[in-house]
Amino acid sequence: MLGRGLKRKLSDYEENMAGLSSAFDSSRSLPYPLKRQLVLNMCLTKLQTYKMLVEPNLHRSVLIANTVRQIQEEMRQESSQQPVSICPGIAPAAHSYTGMESPGIPLQLPSGVGQQESHCCDLRSAEDPIENSLLIVSDDDMSSAISSILKDLDFVEDISPPTCLVPTGDDQPKFPENTGLKLEDDRQDLKGAECVFGSFEISNSTSYLKDLAIDDIFEDIDTSMYDSDFCCPPLTPPRSPSLATEEPLKTFPSCNSSSANNIQICRTDLSELDHIMEILVGS
Amino acid sequence: LAGAGGDGGGNNEVQWCFLQVKGAIDEDVAEADIISTVEFNYTGDLLATGDKGGRVVIFQREQETKSRPLCRGEYNVYSTFQSHEPEFDYLKSLEIEEKINKIRWLPQQNAAHFLLSTNDKTIKLWKISERDKRAEGYNLKDEDGRLREPFRVTELRVPTLKPMDLMVEASPRRTFANAHTYHINSISVNSDYATYLSADDLRINLWHLEVTNRSFNIVDIKPANMEELTEVITAAEFHPHHCNVFVYSSSKGTIRLCDMRSAALCDQHSKFFEEPEDPSSRSFFSEIISSISDVKFSHSGRYMMTRDYLSVKVWDLNMENKPVETYQVHEYLRSKLCSLYENDCIFDKFECCWNGSDSTIMTGSYNNFFRTFERGSRRDATLEASRESSKPRAVLKPRKVCTSGKRKKDEITVDSLDFNKKILHTAWHPMENIIAVAATNNLYLFQEKVN
Repeated sequence: MLGRGLKRKLSDYEENMAGLSSAFDSSRSLPYPLKRQLVLNMCLTKLQTYKMLVEPNLHRSVLIANTVRQIQEEMRQESSQQPVSICPGIAPAAHSYTGMESPGIPLQLPSGVGQQESHCCDLRSAEDPIENSLLIVSDDDMSSAISSILKDLDFVEDISPPTCLVPTGDDQPKFPENTGLKLEDDRQDLKGAECVFGSFEISNSTSYLKDLAIDDIFEDIDTSMYDSDFCCPPLTPPRSPSLATEEPLKTFPSCNSSSANNIQICRTDLSELDHIMEILVGS
Repeated sequence: LAGAGGDGGGNNEVQWCFLQVKGAIDEDVAEADIISTVEFNYTGDLLATGDKGGRVVIFQREQETKSRPLCRGEYNVYSTFQSHEPEFDYLKSLEIEEKINKIRWLPQQNAAHFLLSTNDKTIKLWKISERDKRAEGYNLKDEDGRLREPFRVTELRVPTLKPMDLMVEASPRRTFANAHTYHINSISVNSDYATYLSADDLRINLWHLEVTNRSFNIVDIKPANMEELTEVITAAEFHPHHCNVFVYSSSKGTIRLCDMRSAALCDQHSKFFEEPEDPSSRSFFSEIISSISDVKFSHSGRYMMTRDYLSVKVWDLNMENKPVETYQVHEYLRSKLCSLYENDCIFDKFECCWNGSDSTIMTGSYNNFFRTFERGSRRDATLEASRESSKPRAVLKPRKVCTSGKRKKDEITVDSLDFNKKILHTAWHPMENIIAVAATNNLYLFQEKVN
């Protein structure tokens, strides 16, 4: 299998997964950390697949996210008890996942695996096919995967009014836009990392918005405080959803991209823009 | 409660024999024909099925006639109609599936029959009525409907009703839309016969059957920050007798009983049912397999039953800390959980049902197997819905899955089970021992063997 080269087709990966899961079920000699890693990889693969869907299944996403969190917690506890990590090869790998840096582009699994193999080959013997084919993921990637999929699920235009209020203009921006670059340093506080990842997603999407020519219209408005505001959905009056988004859609004709992900990101921004309009009209 | 007719009364185990099978025999199953819900009405005379194509088919039980006394009521097609159409939400770029998730009958109050059917987003009230008479002798129009020339009308006459071939019409009477952001998984008619609830992943709404432009939100578990979401609603049902009480189950294996008299928003539960986890059976998949896929009150209203991936549990409403009975449906799958997770079978949502007297429960499994559990005697049976055992009045042979090494004759090994043949939906006649089992695109009907 390894002789086929670094870049694998997704179907090979899937076949491998099926073989690995039956190995998990039937083998009693598979060490626990390896089993755990296998389950974790399967979870993340599924979450990534769901991310590519226009409407991921909320029930499944939550179950898988919980499983990832549970494994994450277990691994955290183990690493806090033992300075040396149990599974050689669980190395910080955030930098190798270039897919995470651009919004809307799904994680490039095959290349990720390929890159990991080039790292791992030095650490382990090539005779262990199960270990070598596992996708080694860092803690932050897990958190970000969970955060991003759950955040994407929230883009759905909600009929019920939201329960929290919008921060006023006096609030300081909670997260600076370049937070994403400091992620590796925040590994200690992982809960904080989750929130940071959340804002990482939004700040990227806001920069997407700024690329649009529409920016000129809002030149004189200071939108910096709304750039990273992701905690609460914008407060919209209880009118029908079609009205709420129809107006911005008319104003932003460039928002008809073919990618479903782009539409998702666009919509989050449109609702934020709607919110900005509310403030303008209100004042 | 009176025992179901001929339920063995005591020690005789119920034997099932084949009654009918509905649906195409083709090996190639059309996706639209896959049955997604099955429900008997209150008398058991009507049996409704919904499919992935958004269609509803209602079967009616034939009256026993003197000429064919041995042919106990067969079910034949009574009405077929398109309940839901596929929709495209242009704003969200989302397709709304037309698949019928649930059908619930209303109790009959006049000559017509009413049922609620729902897809992911919209609930509809359908009226099914019979027409077996036709008016003849109109003054202003001919028999074929053409207007008569005024000068030809020389006398007035009273139209008379003449019999005609029975026609069954289904018409949508109410459409309850735009109240669910997430996918509807349950509907339940209240015992007041005036209201009903609909539940999606995060919210439960209360409707009045007459009012379509307004619903009341009675449960909302959506967190302010979606990143904090760890639990979803999986099923909900009204109590059969207490119109203020309902339950809802969650993906974490818990059930909450709520009383609508205590607060308008029932986010605070009155009772919380959860069985503590058995630490010896803990695995990575423990939470996933604990997710409850169905919850059903007993007819008596004293118990409720929940179905999770591997078991069925019966709960006494007065005891919250553990179920009173637990039945293993297919425990042999516990050692295959990783493979079942990989191929997504672990997310299959099996339903469960009670018999009329609450003495037996039934649920489906894989390989077109379904299981019945007699509560008193603790007897259980594994039966198969297959074309091979579909000879008229043929008695169903109990099946057995081989769990240890040596496979006996007629046993089937776990590895040779067909996981594509899953029985998710089953229904039990409210009074008699007649069961309906949906096997992909076929509906099997079995009835108790009469000596």
